[in-house]
Amino acid sequence: MTARRLLRAVTGLAMGAGALLTAPFAFAAAPQPGSGYGLPVDVSAEGHRIDWLIGVTNVLTGILFVLMLGWILYAAIGHNEKRHVAAHDHGDSRKSIFLVLGIAGSIFFVVDGNLFFNSTTDLEEVFHNFDKVEKDPATIRVEINAHQWAWDTRSAGPDGKFNTKDDIVSLNDIKIPVDTPVIFEVASTDVLHAFNLPNFRAKVDAVPGQINRFWTQGKTVGEYEIGCAQHCGTNHYKMKGVITVLSKEDYARWAKEASENSARLFDENDKDAHWGWDWKGN
Amino acid sequence: MGDVVELRPRAREDFTSVIGMMIALGAWAMMFGALFFMYAGMRSHALMWPPPGVPRLPIGLPALNTAVLLASSGAFSLGLRSLRKGERRALSAWLAAAAALGTTFLALQVVVWRDVWASGLQPSTGAYGSVFYGLTALHAVHVAAGILVILLVLVRSLLGKYTEHNVMPVRLPGMFWHFVDAVWVLMFVSLYLL
Amino acid sequence: MEQHIHPEPKAFIWKYVFSIDHKVIAKQFLWTGLMFLALGGTLAMMIRWQWAYPKTAVPVVGALFLSHTGGAITPPTYTSIFTMHGLIMIFWAITPILIGAFGNFCIPLMIGARDMAFPKLNMYSYWMFFASSVLVILSFTSQLGAASAGWTTYPPLSTNVGAPGWGQTYMALAIFATGVSTIMGGINYIVTVIRYRAPGMTWFRLPLTIWGMWLTAILNVLFVPVLGSAALLLSLDRLAGTHFFVAGAAVGIQGGDPMLFQHLFWIFGHPEVYILILPVWGIVGDILSFFSRKPAFWYKGSVFAMIAVTVLSAVVYGHHMYQTGMAPLLGLGFEMLTLAISVPAVVLFVNWLNTIWKGSLRLEVPMLFALGMVFVFGAGGLTGLLLGTISTDIYLHDTMYVVGHFHLTMAAASFLGSFSALYFWFPKMYGKQMDQNLGKVHFWGSVVFITLVFGGQLVAGYSGQHRRLFEPYQYTYIRHLAPLNRWTSFAAFALGATQLIFVVNFIKSILMGKKAEQNPWHVSTLEWTHCASPPIYHNFDIVPTVVRGAHEYADPAVKKKFGRDYLDQVEPGLSAVDEDSSAGMPEPEAIGAE
Ligand SMILES: [Cu+2]
Ligand SMILES: [Cu+2]
Repeated sequence: MTARRLLRAVTGLAMGAGALLTAPFAFAAAPQPGSGYGLPVDVSAEGHRIDWLIGVTNVLTGILFVLMLGWILYAAIGHNEKRHVAAHDHGDSRKSIFLVLGIAGSIFFVVDGNLFFNSTTDLEEVFHNFDKVEKDPATIRVEINAHQWAWDTRSAGPDGKFNTKDDIVSLNDIKIPVDTPVIFEVASTDVLHAFNLPNFRAKVDAVPGQINRFWTQGKTVGEYEIGCAQHCGTNHYKMKGVITVLSKEDYARWAKEASENSARLFDENDKDAHWGWDWKGN
Repeated sequence: MGDVVELRPRAREDFTSVIGMMIALGAWAMMFGALFFMYAGMRSHALMWPPPGVPRLPIGLPALNTAVLLASSGAFSLGLRSLRKGERRALSAWLAAAAALGTTFLALQVVVWRDVWASGLQPSTGAYGSVFYGLTALHAVHVAAGILVILLVLVRSLLGKYTEHNVMPVRLPGMFWHFVDAVWVLMFVSLYLL
Repeated sequence: MEQHIHPEPKAFIWKYVFSIDHKVIAKQFLWTGLMFLALGGTLAMMIRWQWAYPKTAVPVVGALFLSHTGGAITPPTYTSIFTMHGLIMIFWAITPILIGAFGNFCIPLMIGARDMAFPKLNMYSYWMFFASSVLVILSFTSQLGAASAGWTTYPPLSTNVGAPGWGQTYMALAIFATGVSTIMGGINYIVTVIRYRAPGMTWFRLPLTIWGMWLTAILNVLFVPVLGSAALLLSLDRLAGTHFFVAGAAVGIQGGDPMLFQHLFWIFGHPEVYILILPVWGIVGDILSFFSRKPAFWYKGSVFAMIAVTVLSAVVYGHHMYQTGMAPLLGLGFEMLTLAISVPAVVLFVNWLNTIWKGSLRLEVPMLFALGMVFVFGAGGLTGLLLGTISTDIYLHDTMYVVGHFHLTMAAASFLGSFSALYFWFPKMYGKQMDQNLGKVHFWGSVVFITLVFGGQLVAGYSGQHRRLFEPYQYTYIRHLAPLNRWTSFAAFALGATQLIFVVNFIKSILMGKKAEQNPWHVSTLEWTHCASPPIYHNFDIVPTVVRGAHEYADPAVKKKFGRDYLDQVEPGLSAVDEDSSAGMPEPEAIGAE
């Protein structure tokens, strides 16, 4: 963990240094929803990890980009045939080779290394760490069944079991409590879709015959969009939904009401409506 | 342009053709390899293979058929050997045998398909049926193509086009035929036995 | 090895239609590829129109082909447009131009061969490609519309479940057919380079262009068959009722597995991006050296880097599938290998930069395009890092950022590389000189607008815009990107218009260009130093004996002795050893001058 912090401090410095060069791209990560050119507002507890890694990499690659462009322009103008006699250099001296390998190695260890190290730790500790979330008694579980062109959603009612009378079912509409982990299990009935929560930095493919999952946690109350990120046919562009982060009290009230409503409207014979599956878990 | 001497060192040109054929067969192997990869993926995801309720595949007839195809390959090899020794008539006889055995293979394959179909397994039955019919059919297409090529070689052989100094036009189709054969052995083992 | 000389055919049909001459076949591929480039480009303009002015009538094209809707694009048409755009550009434009045309043209000439190893196979390769082109056109005429499942053709959408009708079927078969054509070409390229290099043309004297083409041919022969398999299985699902890739409600528990198609597709698909870029790397590596009048920097390093990329490209395909529910450990492996590619890629890149450094740069049109390619490829490569990393890819996957990234690397870089090659070898192909001023306008227009178009896509994707959206502004969180998209579209239209300059230049130069000299660029490779412009039917009356690599420039001693700044690959040069091995060779300029 300390190594990681050190790395973050170093890369943070690099960020500062490169900020001037790449400011419009890297730091336009505007906090306002729906304005500016940058990452949409992040409302998840852990999305900042992804944003940070993207930002740092943008700075580093931005520096490399500027160096490359400057190099090409300088050579094209400064070493033009009008001004410069070509050096007779095959570039295969030991010095040249070390130079090339040195540059390749440094870029690899700094840029790629940073990506690999942080991505792996983030995935291991957070994004793929389902053990911790499954154990958390507060965790909310949601099943998503994608089909052309809508999202069926389902969460277990008071009985804690899926595909029963008290399940909260809805279409294109998910409500979750703030500051509470939520696990999504996602499948599809027809073609591929991809369940995308851009404001949560979360996305997973919905595949027929396969259950995929991810977890996230909202930190800001509000309404955000659900999108389908995988081409799924004619109306792919309209396959949207809304995810609402409610305060814990509002959520509890809503969940109780919704569950009762579902139970009232439950129809034993409507087989299509019982698409839920037993929670897959770990 | 002055007079250009035509140089044609046959042995080296032959070697070039063999390299070309081997690369072509390598590509073909990748194609069949991809089919087997798909098959392995399908099996590893299935809870049970064959899935419950699916009729069993026969083993006897396909085993016999494997022998038939191997014999065909053998006949082709013997034909090539005869040609190398300059026995052109023997070449034609062996080629005819190879083609006949290949045709027998196809005929028996049709019988197998008919039996399996009648037992209730069809391509649309699901993954199992798809794999069985898909793989065997794609292979059968290659056998059919191989038979046509052998017949072509047979005709040219009867016309006396080949000599012991010109074996390449026989050897290259032979490489293809052995390849189709080898693929079949893999299919037989993985589809029927495993 | 000395190759047998075929008699030159006299009849038109054998000379220009069913020709076995690699130079004619190259031109056939070039023309067909350019036609499809125009078609694919038009489709791109339609996509951009839809994003700039959603649901309004498309000018000109709309009136011609979309009259039933008053010229506007509808959602189903839109899905066909982007699907066909992608497939056409990759398989029927870049592949034939880069590999079909320049592979065919350059390989025998640059290695000192009289033709390909299997000239007839070469002819079949073109006509197989032609047949696949017919299937593409047929797809457009299909009643339920052309293929519409995206260029990746993912099932179940690409099966009858999601895309009924012949349009998708024709394309599956067309992919198979063009694959067969590519493999036939690949076999030829591999064997020709192995067997028919001129005496003395050792592996490390090969021009980088040949290395690029050869490695591409290897990848083609290895991985196009996998795509062929996937296309066949998909066709069976569509035509024979099998269930390889259908799953879910349509078939119940007896279904197949759509993910298997993705595996097969990307086992091919990742090498494919290198298939399209390796020839460009080679060509650019040579052209940067030729026009910097300086040896290629660390030639062997570039060769090994290209080989390393070729090998690695076979084992990284999983990075396209991070979000498909892939096992975390497997994903980690793919991520590590993917990031490892940046080592050879940077080696190659730094070698290019070092080649032009301290050179004596002649900014002629091929050189400009080569420098442009270095620039866009750099930008494309850098943006790829975030997509090769699992956690950052979670956000960026399936956004326009991906689209911008692969257009910069695959499309823009191969586009600029192809045009670099075209301007460079045009005098050799047609014996005419192209208009350099029009060429420069074409270059500046292309590189500026390419940067704007694909840069705009990167920004849109970074802000969250998904790819393949008929109308992105359905989403509120990206509604404010409408002006950005519109400006990007304007840049795209300008990019399209710029290409008309090339069309004028190309046609004009073929018809009434100035006659080209044998070696107008004063460069060192065999096709320029030992072949007329255009070359005679069998390229070389006497196959020259090669004594050195392709990049001998800027040696002061040579300048002193010969009064020019380069040595070709054959002439004796300075040392006695060289003189020995090339004794009796005619003067380079003399051949083909008759
Ligand atoms: Cu969808
Ligand atoms: Cu890839």
